[in-house]
Amino acid sequence: MSARIFLTFAAVSVIALETNAQGLEYRFSVADEGTLSKLNLTTPLNYQNRILPQATQANDVISNLFLSYGGLSTSLNVDAYATNLAKSNYSYSIRELSYDLSLTDNLDVTVGRKILKWGPGYAFNPTGVVEPQRSPSDPSDRLGQNVGRTLVSVNAFLGKSSLTLVYLNDAQFRSGNFNWGEHDYALRAYTFLNGIDLSGILHYRQGDRLEAGTNWSCVVGENLELHGEFLAKKGSSTLYHEILSSDNPEQIFAADPYTARFDHSNDIFYKLLVGGQYTFENGVNVALEYYRNMEGLSKLEWNQWMKFVKFQNGIQQGSIPVPPEMIGPSRYNLLWALRTLSPRGTMRDYLFGREYYSVDPWSFEFIQLMNAGDASVVIVPTVSYRISEYLSAYGRFTSFLGESESEYGALFTKYNSSIGIQLQL
Amino acid sequence: MKELLRNIVIAAVTIAGFTSLYAQSSERTDVKLTGDEILRLSDQNRNGWTSYSVLTTIMNYEDDELKEQGLFEASIKGMDKTLVKFLNADVKGEYLLMVEDDMWIYMPNTRKPIRITPLQRLMGNASNGDVARTRYAEDYAAKLKKEESVSGVPCYLLELTAKRDGATYKRIDYWVEKETNRPKKAEIYLISGKHYKSIVFDRYEETAGKTLLTQMTITDRLREGRITVMKYSSYSEKQMPEKYFNKDYLEKLR
Repeated sequence: MSARIFLTFAAVSVIALETNAQGLEYRFSVADEGTLSKLNLTTPLNYQNRILPQATQANDVISNLFLSYGGLSTSLNVDAYATNLAKSNYSYSIRELSYDLSLTDNLDVTVGRKILKWGPGYAFNPTGVVEPQRSPSDPSDRLGQNVGRTLVSVNAFLGKSSLTLVYLNDAQFRSGNFNWGEHDYALRAYTFLNGIDLSGILHYRQGDRLEAGTNWSCVVGENLELHGEFLAKKGSSTLYHEILSSDNPEQIFAADPYTARFDHSNDIFYKLLVGGQYTFENGVNVALEYYRNMEGLSKLEWNQWMKFVKFQNGIQQGSIPVPPEMIGPSRYNLLWALRTLSPRGTMRDYLFGREYYSVDPWSFEFIQLMNAGDASVVIVPTVSYRISEYLSAYGRFTSFLGESESEYGALFTKYNSSIGIQLQL
Repeated sequence: MKELLRNIVIAAVTIAGFTSLYAQSSERTDVKLTGDEILRLSDQNRNGWTSYSVLTTIMNYEDDELKEQGLFEASIKGMDKTLVKFLNADVKGEYLLMVEDDMWIYMPNTRKPIRITPLQRLMGNASNGDVARTRYAEDYAAKLKKEESVSGVPCYLLELTAKRDGATYKRIDYWVEKETNRPKKAEIYLISGKHYKSIVFDRYEETAGKTLLTQMTITDRLREGRITVMKYSSYSEKQMPEKYFNKDYLEKLR
């Protein structure tokens, strides 16, 4: 019986492949990027670069090969890197490896590892429940480093609408053992109605709460695009440092101090994004977004966490005397504390801006990411020069600005300067 | 550059969409036609097939110097759906989807379709293209001003005025060959009355068993010396399921 099912499935696959085949397609890119960094040696998170030593010079060569034939497609990365702290090394990753099966003109199935993105937001995507982690200060993933998630998705298309059901599982095969990850389900209904892209989303991850949300985008007139996203759930399984709910920031925890303190809460936790982009007649494009994440830390919580970090740092630097046997655990406490930091924003309110202008062969991009709670900012100006259809060069500067105890002002680095060259075939 | 090419391709595709098959013009008649009828007649002959694809090469010149060149494959279904595949190395894997007046761009790096505004497609010389984006009979009311010859070819001169918000321009002077109903040339004017663009439909050739537009030239009247030449080749009938023109399907295309 199972053999018959398999053969039927195989036959359907072949028929689908034949009737809906796309020929061999490839894309190849290789980029060589050199970076010089100025470290923030006074931050309590990594004082004098002692807790987690950071490189000040790095060179990274990243190549990406995309191949597809019929329904099969893959994207492979090889990354060779060297820093002033470590010997040259390399790594590789299978960013994507998936098979798209077109069962009918209206029904598709995708199996494998794939990058899916659902939200219209530029820097933040509250409704991007199926997407890999990414950085808001590099929204276009310029070096192609995002890695897909393992999934099975079923897509039904009907005119200007579609319905997508996805099952994800970050299963891992290590040392001969196969381990299932948490079951993750997402459903999206999309339609294009009266000029508005409108989606409704449901998401449930094993061990977490059911999330529901919506996203939309529309164009107003000739210049303006507007978009928004909203996702909410009752309670939260996000892990928080115990120090956030303690009156005393001067403690040393003996064990991992992270707990899901709102796991049984009935409070509504939501993520909200509103934004838009405006194109001026001279071609300058400006995008702005406001993002609120109620799972992020409040200003008070951040301050409490920062006091805790400063306390541990004081112990490490010897300015706060403790018995010698406490210095080691305190160091662990400092390392644990760093888990609170999220590349997608640790606190609640953020503003994002991007200005872009292109006049061949030059293009200019200026990104600003601001923590609206403490006014710290990341700014990223980039200049690119198109040498030919295949070759381009760029310079990129990333600066972290803010008070010494603010989110971006306290990061390990003050600024990075990068230059790179990219070949595309 | 990308933005420019993106916009230019719209020009190519949409102009191809509405001018590709004027050789299929309707039968001549001695009955005096109104402007709207001539325009509608033209629209009926815009597409050789209900569903087809065409390769488009776009060359942008400034002061007679070729500044950039792009190659694209456009898949057109019906009168209001176009999917453009970018073929140049630096934009490979990108797609532009147009459904009626709405547009999305898909870039493989971001892995998601992004809604774009009409002005984004209008940037650079590509604003030429927006002339062609208009589906004339639906977007414009046509008034037959007179008959006059263009390069010795008898033509109808139509004055087109926008009848809906989605129309890109408020006024176009549009010459249509009397004999074949092929477009001969178009002059675009801004609301202010300023002369904006000129389009010359240069060449029609026998291809895929039909006489099709294979070259047109667009001259920017506001920025002197800027000319865009669009060449069309490899026309072929192509059946495509509706889902290809659904925004959510873009991430499945290669």
